[in-house]
Amino acid sequence: MSDFTLPIRAGVGLKPEHYGDIIETKPDIGFFEVHAENYMGAGGPPHRYLERISELYPISLHGVGLSIGAEGPLDTAHLARLKHLNERYRPASFSEHLAWSTHESAFLSDLLPLPYTLATLHRVAEHVDEVQQALGRKMLLENPSTYVLFEESTIDEIDFLEAVAARTGCGLLLDVNNVMVSAVNHHLDPYAYIDRFPLHRVGEIHLAGYDEAFDGAGERLLIDAHGSAVLDDVLKLYRHTIARGGPRPTLVEWDNNIPDWQTLFAEALKADGVLARASARKVA
Amino acid sequence: MVATSQAQFAAALFGPETMPLGLTTARGEADQSRFAVYRNNVSVALIKALEGRFPVTRRIVGDVFFRAMAHAFIAENKPKSPLIFEYGDALPSFIENFEPAAGLSYLADVARLEAGWTDAYHAAEGPVLAASDLGAMRQPMQCRFIAHPSAMLVKCSHPAGTIWAANQLAEVSPIAASGAETILIVRPFADVHVHILPVQDALFAERLFTGFNLGDAGQEALSRNDHFDFGTALVGLVALGAFAAIEEKGTT
Amino acid sequence: MNRNTLALALAGSLATALAASAAPLPAEKMVGMEKCYGIALKGQNDCAAGAGTSCAGTSEMDYNTKAWKAVPAGTCTTMNVDGHKGTLEPM
Repeated sequence: MSDFTLPIRAGVGLKPEHYGDIIETKPDIGFFEVHAENYMGAGGPPHRYLERISELYPISLHGVGLSIGAEGPLDTAHLARLKHLNERYRPASFSEHLAWSTHESAFLSDLLPLPYTLATLHRVAEHVDEVQQALGRKMLLENPSTYVLFEESTIDEIDFLEAVAARTGCGLLLDVNNVMVSAVNHHLDPYAYIDRFPLHRVGEIHLAGYDEAFDGAGERLLIDAHGSAVLDDVLKLYRHTIARGGPRPTLVEWDNNIPDWQTLFAEALKADGVLARASARKVA
Repeated sequence: MVATSQAQFAAALFGPETMPLGLTTARGEADQSRFAVYRNNVSVALIKALEGRFPVTRRIVGDVFFRAMAHAFIAENKPKSPLIFEYGDALPSFIENFEPAAGLSYLADVARLEAGWTDAYHAAEGPVLAASDLGAMRQPMQCRFIAHPSAMLVKCSHPAGTIWAANQLAEVSPIAASGAETILIVRPFADVHVHILPVQDALFAERLFTGFNLGDAGQEALSRNDHFDFGTALVGLVALGAFAAIEEKGTT
Repeated sequence: MNRNTLALALAGSLATALAASAAPLPAEKMVGMEKCYGIALKGQNDCAAGAGTSCAGTSEMDYNTKAWKAVPAGTCTTMNVDGHKGTLEPM
């Protein structure tokens, strides 16, 4: 997909804790992803560092607050802020979530789930259209981690994402950790999910660590915590994904209990290894 | 089949221990503990946002108290924007009226300093007036000084700057400070700087920041404090990067 | 002091201070220097401001202590501010 120009390598989420290490050591890494909302201040160190880092590496701009799945209209002020960032840093990719996080004037600071129905499909597609028009580029829409299901849902999640992509021309961001989390939480086979997923539409893959809990009936409940290294079952599912769909730009997310730079970099190298082997096989 | 509105969902996130109608699980029955994951995510995210922005306030009262206070604050102050670094602007004034913290009369001032620190951190870039620019003033007494976009004065009736600084260290030794402090927070270049202004210069700085011209600000400061030295105060503030530009009379 | 005398006095004071600060350093250097004006306080955390956003959930359980039961128990108990210790009676 020519609209998504992230290199087919591993990247990591950019954290203020690592600004110094990155600028000092200039690690050999594919790209950095930033949460758009953390760079919506007028100035200051976040912009100073991002400017320097964006001169050295491709940047992926990842929104966490646009609330594309909201019942209400998109926040045009927020869209304008995104547009400004998109113009300032010319990121190689822009992505957001199939989720909602604002209701009326309140920001709920979590990625909340939505039912999959014809009505929500229509609304999400309209919102994606609006974003793409405002930014003048295609976006990637990410599959969510969810903990509940909706009685009113009538459309399968993959069909829903596929339909939004078909209607709007957007790409998809496949979060393999989210696939594992939702599959365990809703008694689905994560491999069957990957095998049905339209991998040709995937412009980026996310990996992260999950936490484990138990629900009210004592069933295993996974939580998308981004607070640890990528777990083995997710890595295995990732290898399966790459084997099936080919190598894709891959981000390691680590947002809580942020480790030192070397630890995070080592996680990226792990994913890079999987990508390199897949590319070598492709060539051979 | 029941449809779940986002209004209901949002209300239940902050409401009593109920969940919205229309939720289910693969087992086919709703599960309160699963909805609770969302409630917990929202709550923890907002508490972390406050802990991140107010580390000294938190250290002063301890984790348990801070969390309890954050809960009380969140109940009355939902974030209005996805710019989470702005969340907590209202915490200092909330603390002023927060009964359990009434014995720590200085706590709101410390929180005000911390809120100002992040504001300065994210403020726009701007030119920084240098001492050498002062020579160019044609009618000095008529000049007004435009504050740097990141600069602010935090006027505290308690020694909040001294308390804040003491709490940056691993060990907090008993501090022996008292009285008011006027604090300048400014980020002229890359880093945020925090300065306690000399007592005799606080009023002068305040007046300049609120648009008084040099003559009026200087005269008032002089009439209030014999130790005030006009040149030292002005050159000092300029050297800290407090101002972006000089506005000569008649230029606006 | 009338307006003219004041202006003269202020101008004189400014000239003295400017002469004293004469080192023709660029502003960026000056601000980084140890200053004799104002007390410069050192912050510990100059590179990170706050928690930032997250697109993750958490398994860390939020425990809600009732505010009226909580007693400040951080460094306030060791600080001596305005001549009295910051300890509190539980409210």
